[in-house]
Amino acid sequence: MKKLILVALVLAAGCAKDTTRYGDARGIETVTNQFGSTDLQLIAESMTRSMLQAPVIVAGNLPIVTVQEVRNKTSEYIDTRAITDSIRAELQKGGKVRFAVDQAAMNQQVEEIKRQSSEFYAKEQAVEKGQMVGAQYRMEGNITSIVKQVKDVKDVYYKVNLQLWNIRNGLLEWSDEKEIRKTTTKG
Amino acid sequence: MKHGSLIGAVLLAFAATGCATKKGFEVPGQAFGCPVGDAKVSSMDDLIKAKVVMEGKRTTILPTELRCTKSGDLLRIDANLNNDSSSVKRIAYKFRWIDREGMRAADEESWKPLLIYENSNLVVNTVSPSNKASDFRLILRSQE
Repeated sequence: MKKLILVALVLAAGCAKDTTRYGDARGIETVTNQFGSTDLQLIAESMTRSMLQAPVIVAGNLPIVTVQEVRNKTSEYIDTRAITDSIRAELQKGGKVRFAVDQAAMNQQVEEIKRQSSEFYAKEQAVEKGQMVGAQYRMEGNITSIVKQVKDVKDVYYKVNLQLWNIRNGLLEWSDEKEIRKTTTKG
Repeated sequence: MKHGSLIGAVLLAFAATGCATKKGFEVPGQAFGCPVGDAKVSSMDDLIKAKVVMEGKRTTILPTELRCTKSGDLLRIDANLNNDSSSVKRIAYKFRWIDREGMRAADEESWKPLLIYENSNLVVNTVSPSNKASDFRLILRSQE
């Protein structure tokens, strides 16, 4: 009898059908308490809206910004580039900031300029060297976390700090923080 | 003559009172700094009804105050959310941005989770993502 039940269970498990459905990309994700899509969206939105109120941006002179690294000081893997990419996209849509090519994209930019300078391109249409515009401000930051865990409870606290530095005079023009707390309780 | 000037002064005072604008409604088309257009908004409750939308699971949390101001050419909003129950409430909120033509002025925002302690208030604030946004809706849903 036991064997029969076991066979039935194995068969049932074998027949179980996986279902895949599209979800709300902007919905609240709480699958685990690791850094997730909701955290990324919360940070990007909060930082963008705060930065839009920075005096250097409110002044309306379309400041040129370059994006530097957001250092991941947490114990987990976080693609911090995704944070800065989202912030940059949001700011760009707002039309109040222009972005200069950053360090990560510099190689591709130089390669393209070199390619256009080659004999394969019409001289009059090819971009000239020495025409790139340098940024006036650089954006950088940190993400840190504090994780506490006891038997059935895990508490994760994230803090993201972003700064906008004036490259010419080294002054800090804007800075803000976003905090997120998530607690998982077992059972 | 004395009587005449006294009556005149009283009439002038009455006229001035009649013309005085209610606080929060000083600018035509705005209520407490928030854009209302031609909508009939004569109190804070009317403004909340006009701007707050429930989507999904309804929550008992409601704003008790909405105030707007301009930050440069962007719209800044403060919404005071009140939990008058004796238990902690978890909700999600987002703002929806509308342009002058009534079209969406920006992509849909992500839902933001919020915890409000029992018998307490929490102010959520934001600023419009661009100067295209001239109006807004505050969307609330329960996360219980």
